[in-house]
Amino acid sequence: MLAYALRRLLSALATLFGVLTLVFFLLAAAPGDPAVLAARSSGTRPASPEAVAAFRRLHGLDRPLPVQFATWAARAVRLDLGRSFQDGREVRERLAAALPATVYLNGCALLLALLAAVPCGVSAARRPGGRFDRVTGAVFDLLFATPSFVLGLLLLLVFSVKLRVTPLFSDPALGPLGIALPVATLGLGAVALLSRFVRACVRTALEDPAALAARARGESGRASVRRALRRSAGALSALAAVLVPSLVTGSVLVERLFSWPGAGRLLADGVFARDVPVVLGLTLVAGGVVVVASVAGDLASAWFDPRLRDAGLLEGRP
Amino acid sequence: MTAERGPSAAGAAAGLIAIVLAALLAPLLARSRPWFETARGEAVLSAPVPWDPDAIDLDQRLRPPGSRHWLGTDELGRDVLSRLLHGGRVSVGAGALACAVALLAGSLLGAVAGLAGGRTDRGVLFVLEVVQSVPALVLVAALAAFLPPSFFLAALLIGLTAWTDSARIVRAEARRFRSAPFVEAARAAGAPRARLLFRHVLPHALPPALATAPYVLGAAVLTEAGLSFLGLGTPPPAASWGRSLADARDVVTTAPWCVLPPAVALVLLVLSARRLGDALAERSRIRSS
Repeated sequence: MLAYALRRLLSALATLFGVLTLVFFLLAAAPGDPAVLAARSSGTRPASPEAVAAFRRLHGLDRPLPVQFATWAARAVRLDLGRSFQDGREVRERLAAALPATVYLNGCALLLALLAAVPCGVSAARRPGGRFDRVTGAVFDLLFATPSFVLGLLLLLVFSVKLRVTPLFSDPALGPLGIALPVATLGLGAVALLSRFVRACVRTALEDPAALAARARGESGRASVRRALRRSAGALSALAAVLVPSLVTGSVLVERLFSWPGAGRLLADGVFARDVPVVLGLTLVAGGVVVVASVAGDLASAWFDPRLRDAGLLEGRP
Repeated sequence: MTAERGPSAAGAAAGLIAIVLAALLAPLLARSRPWFETARGEAVLSAPVPWDPDAIDLDQRLRPPGSRHWLGTDELGRDVLSRLLHGGRVSVGAGALACAVALLAGSLLGAVAGLAGGRTDRGVLFVLEVVQSVPALVLVAALAAFLPPSFFLAALLIGLTAWTDSARIVRAEARRFRSAPFVEAARAAGAPRARLLFRHVLPHALPPALATAPYVLGAAVLTEAGLSFLGLGTPPPAASWGRSLADARDVVTTAPWCVLPPAVALVLLVLSARRLGDALAERSRIRSS
């Protein structure tokens, strides 16, 4: 287990470095000159050549690309993501100000999703093809195909415009109602994903000969479900690698939709201001979160179900 | 997972075809120029939706659905139905283009990696892991910010984030056929590597990847819509569903009718693509067992 964990962590570090390199060079290869774009974004007139040159010097854009990359990567490793082009503040600082709101939002959504998805998935798995299974299956299929911002917009239409119970723009300062819609939006998307997965896992576990044998020995339904959940823990942990990217994407869109002051909105704003350090930093953070989630998922899977590890099923995601 | 509920492939395919047809025929269905006119310029037969998607009419701002504008107008007095039809061209077009790019890149890289093995294989797998680690929308949005806004660039970028799944599938298949007797025979007969790849391995490795095309299409459509919603992607004034939804958000209190058409269309497109994918997966599962 320890050897596997070390190997997996090393490969994750390599992946993270790959993400760093990919993002940096793709942005560097893009045709628009960030200095010209950013220097202009502060005013409407095109910036003077002197201003652009000064901007380049200030942010080290006049040095050769490999040097820029080495400097940036060396700093990024120490969690120093440089200074924003927009206001000169440290990206780290801006991120630290925005991230708690995003973590709060996603934490609430995930909690809600888990509380709803596990009972739904289990009940559906106990009677496959039954009425509950068919109804929830159809609803979750529909939810699963609905992009997060569409779902959020529909919720906004119903609860803020028709029923007028929630505010039009969400804000953590507004209390439970202020956060209800973005949490519901992200949570419902996650429920759809989670519940389908729980259902499939529990169903496989319940169809296992071991489950049949236990039932023949007189095991109660409740106990067999508990055992099925425990047996599918390995498979369920692997879900982190799918769920987290969808939450990250969802955060970017949903935070924009509800003007939620989080990291997703910071990224969208940075994209519009052509703020290279902010975009680079946040893309790296997004990649980092996904890599960490996938490592955590793999390690948990290996912990719960060593067969998966020994069969080499966890080297990369399927 | 939906297998035993029996996704109706026919229904899904019909939905997909209807949306694609509506998108293809949008310039005919929704235009202010009549289909036929007399020599004096009188309209004999006007298009069913006689409004151009970009025609701004400030006297007709935010009109609710009615006999003039079937689905109402938006904040610039543009016809919602006309923009819905034309917006489908962006979603369907970008989705299809991105899907083609992804399948092409994915199956080539996957087949090369699976056939070559060794260092090439590890290299491709590493790149695959890296690309998969950054959520598609984040990567595409980050890049789109520094590129000129363009439909084709956006579709290309989306395709270049979506190739990983087909690459994995084709790689696994190619590894299976790598030492199959007919490949060994071809290799022994001195066939060059390109011939092994295109003639012997790809034809066998491709079908399972092609069966996932509807999923890739659905994912690409979602990414494009998200990109448009953020205000990137296809530049205005061209209609696109994502952008229509972003616009509708600004007037959601005064013109709630602007929300539903693009929302329903988007969900319908993604849902029928996924259903078709489920059905294809089910079929190939039955065939292989």
